[in-house]
Amino acid sequence: MSDQQLLGNFTDQDAPAYEDVLQCMRCGFCLPTCPTFALTGRERSSPRGRVALARAVAEGRLDFNLAMKEEAFFCLDCRACTSACPSGVKAGEVMEICRAQVHQQLPAPKWQGTLRNLVLKKMVPNPDLMETSMLPARLYQKLGIQWLVRNSKILKLGPAWIDKAEGMLPALHPPLRPQLPDLSPAKGEKRGTVAFFLGCVMTLLYPEVSRQTVKVLNHQGFDVITPKQQKCCGAPHLTEGDRDTTREIAAFNLDLFLDLDVDAIVTDCAGCGAALKEYEEILAERADHERLHLFHQKIKDISEFLFTQGIRTEGLKPVEKSVTYHEPCHLCHAQGISKQPRELIRSIPGVEFREMKEASWCCGSAATFSLKFTDESQKILDRKLENVRKTGAEILVTGNPGCHLQLAWGLQQAQMPQSVLHITELLGLATPD
Amino acid sequence: MITQSAVEQLEQALGKDKLITAKEDLLVLGYDSTPGLHAMPDLVVYPTSTQDVIKVVEVARGHNIPLTPRGSATGLSGGSIPINGGIVICLTKMNRILEIDEENLTATCEAGVVTLDLFNAVAEKGLFYPPDPGSQKISTLAGNVMEDAGGLRGLKYGVTRDYVMALTCVLADGSLISTGGKSVKDVAGYAFKDLLVGSEGTLGIITEITVKLIPPPQTKQTFLAYFDNIRTAGEAVSKIIAAKIIPSTMEIMDKATINCVEDYAGIGLPRQMAALLLIEVDGHPAVVAEEAEALKAILEQVGSAEVHQAKDAQDAMKLAEARRTALSALARVSPTTLLEDATVPRSKLADTFTLIEQLTEKYQLTVGTFGHAGDGNLHPTVLCDERNEDEMKRAHAFYDELYEQVLAWGGTVSGEHGIGIAKKGYLAKQIGPGGVAVMRRIKSAFDPQGIMNPGKIFVSEQE
Repeated sequence: MSDQQLLGNFTDQDAPAYEDVLQCMRCGFCLPTCPTFALTGRERSSPRGRVALARAVAEGRLDFNLAMKEEAFFCLDCRACTSACPSGVKAGEVMEICRAQVHQQLPAPKWQGTLRNLVLKKMVPNPDLMETSMLPARLYQKLGIQWLVRNSKILKLGPAWIDKAEGMLPALHPPLRPQLPDLSPAKGEKRGTVAFFLGCVMTLLYPEVSRQTVKVLNHQGFDVITPKQQKCCGAPHLTEGDRDTTREIAAFNLDLFLDLDVDAIVTDCAGCGAALKEYEEILAERADHERLHLFHQKIKDISEFLFTQGIRTEGLKPVEKSVTYHEPCHLCHAQGISKQPRELIRSIPGVEFREMKEASWCCGSAATFSLKFTDESQKILDRKLENVRKTGAEILVTGNPGCHLQLAWGLQQAQMPQSVLHITELLGLATPD
Repeated sequence: MITQSAVEQLEQALGKDKLITAKEDLLVLGYDSTPGLHAMPDLVVYPTSTQDVIKVVEVARGHNIPLTPRGSATGLSGGSIPINGGIVICLTKMNRILEIDEENLTATCEAGVVTLDLFNAVAEKGLFYPPDPGSQKISTLAGNVMEDAGGLRGLKYGVTRDYVMALTCVLADGSLISTGGKSVKDVAGYAFKDLLVGSEGTLGIITEITVKLIPPPQTKQTFLAYFDNIRTAGEAVSKIIAAKIIPSTMEIMDKATINCVEDYAGIGLPRQMAALLLIEVDGHPAVVAEEAEALKAILEQVGSAEVHQAKDAQDAMKLAEARRTALSALARVSPTTLLEDATVPRSKLADTFTLIEQLTEKYQLTVGTFGHAGDGNLHPTVLCDERNEDEMKRAHAFYDELYEQVLAWGGTVSGEHGIGIAKKGYLAKQIGPGGVAVMRRIKSAFDPQGIMNPGKIFVSEQE
């Protein structure tokens, strides 16, 4: 019985497993953890409701209709429900898989499909193309056009997401990937060698943050190898329902990194880390399960890695600041890493750590959610900002570029004094050059 | 089916935005946590005031449409499932705490206030609302009242009924009654309030609730006792009660439950043990110290394998939280979790565990048992697959035989989950035809048309 796949109104390519939706016993423990349920009070926009809809599709009681498409993309995929579910149901993953069904069953207009294919299949998997594509944006800032655009308010005339996207753009520096040496050597007594998985958003939008990551790793005694051929982790494709491209990219990255003789593969992007740790499931059809598992075991978020290794605090400069911490969903819910970053922050001399309420509640960024659902995203962000405000902390630390963009933008819009730092930037402040 | 004119009247009365008619919404508003039960409502309304509720009842009455009240749908007997279709009236948007009266130690809330939200709001004022059903993080107060929900603190503090002081309720004829009040004593006429508590929406729809609050205990101590044999755990419970110690919590988990909960929570529960008891004593520090000593002595005397004490309040909270996930955690193992709510006099606990073991063997099932041991309230849960007909038959035979003995011992078929749809047959066995007849007469006195949550609690004459 259990090995039989009930498809109903799903197609057989990338459909949720019937067993996975049957697992939900509808206790409702997920409801209070779901940001979109909190926002709407609507059962179908809750994890329990979404799984019930998927079950209805699998049992042929509901067509894979527009409502399914809406819920597949309205779900933030924050995985808070997965953390809360005692029965082990993964509603976020079910919705992520449903996004692949959307593209099969409810295809978008042709121009949208072409654009999507261009971005997902041609651009994102190719780091050189991506880096070149950022050049106009850098020029846009350098030549003062940004100043002109912002002051003319011209973007208020277009759709809300364009204005927001423009406003979120941090001050751009040249991409980091071509700049990093193949090997950045450890300082002091060497403790090991790691490979650095440099996410697209990190190298393109936050190169100076990842530079701090390498600096901190070196100072902590680790050789850092950065393979230049590495590609995007595939998370954007998963989020957009293009699981085929994810599988191609995953296979490439997996072989590239496993050929290196390293103790761990470290990333400073929670979204990448979560996706890399899912390669084992994404590539489950491959025969070499041991290799897949080995890869999974080697992937470490930077905070997970440093905490496990134990941080060398001698020689660190005190950072006399009050700090609060926002948990990226893809770190705490998708990877179960919650205690480690807090302990790292506490271990920095001089830092006063202040816990915020609902630290593990999504910030509303959620990949492209913040641009697709600007109003809803703003409401989720406001809830987060209020909790930040109550701490009165000077610095807001996080560990994911999506959260970073959203929080920095939100704080600026709300004219709040906090600055947003990646955890390695905070560690970088304490680390001598 | 609901007529177009009824829909139009509702639209006019409430406004379109409070009505739900799309199939994909209706599909997810016809279940609760009871396995295997699902029905489609014809329409769902989200009232935001008592006046809205009255308007809905008026329309339902005029068109003879069944009305099923719903909160967060975490019930375990099917109380909020619209088995005859009609209108589901979802009260979750009426979720304001209207007043916390510190002079009279009461709180007044709208129907849809979440149990834990009330607990937290009164705790901020140094007060305590004890009823804590497993689903307290999302269950609504009116749902708790309608099912008379229990919880982990039932042993010492009682259940929801013990805290309800007043109710505002819309009856089937559209009239509004207020029953009870803030007075500590009240013997004026029939105790409607007590009749409404546990009535599962069959007599009326609650819109406002006033509950009693108490001062919180000054201190508490929490223990985990492990056992090599579940019968011994049952004996320990009986001995503790016989020693006149009333812990605030005395919960049991068997080996299957321990392992599932540990899989989820990962807090170091003993996977190899046959059973554990989670025991909490609270109150004045001197009394707590004395009871804790006596408790440890009894546990040692009956032969508990190990006794551990929670090191702080946070540790104790983690244990209680973990216990609350027991049912959902058991659902990890199998697609379907059939759960029952048998309750026996506490002197019969050890015998009940033996019986459950025998029946599990006899019917070749996998059963996880947990529950409020101190209340004699057990949740033997059959871990099965609803697609396996033969297994489902054996599961039902298991419960039939179990309940027969539970009733013979003077127990009840439901300690805290209510009868709903799932246990109508068992209730009839417990109270007999005479009992059912009286219940039917009460029902028709309140609701002659039979529109209030029909098909629940007892088999209607038409069925």
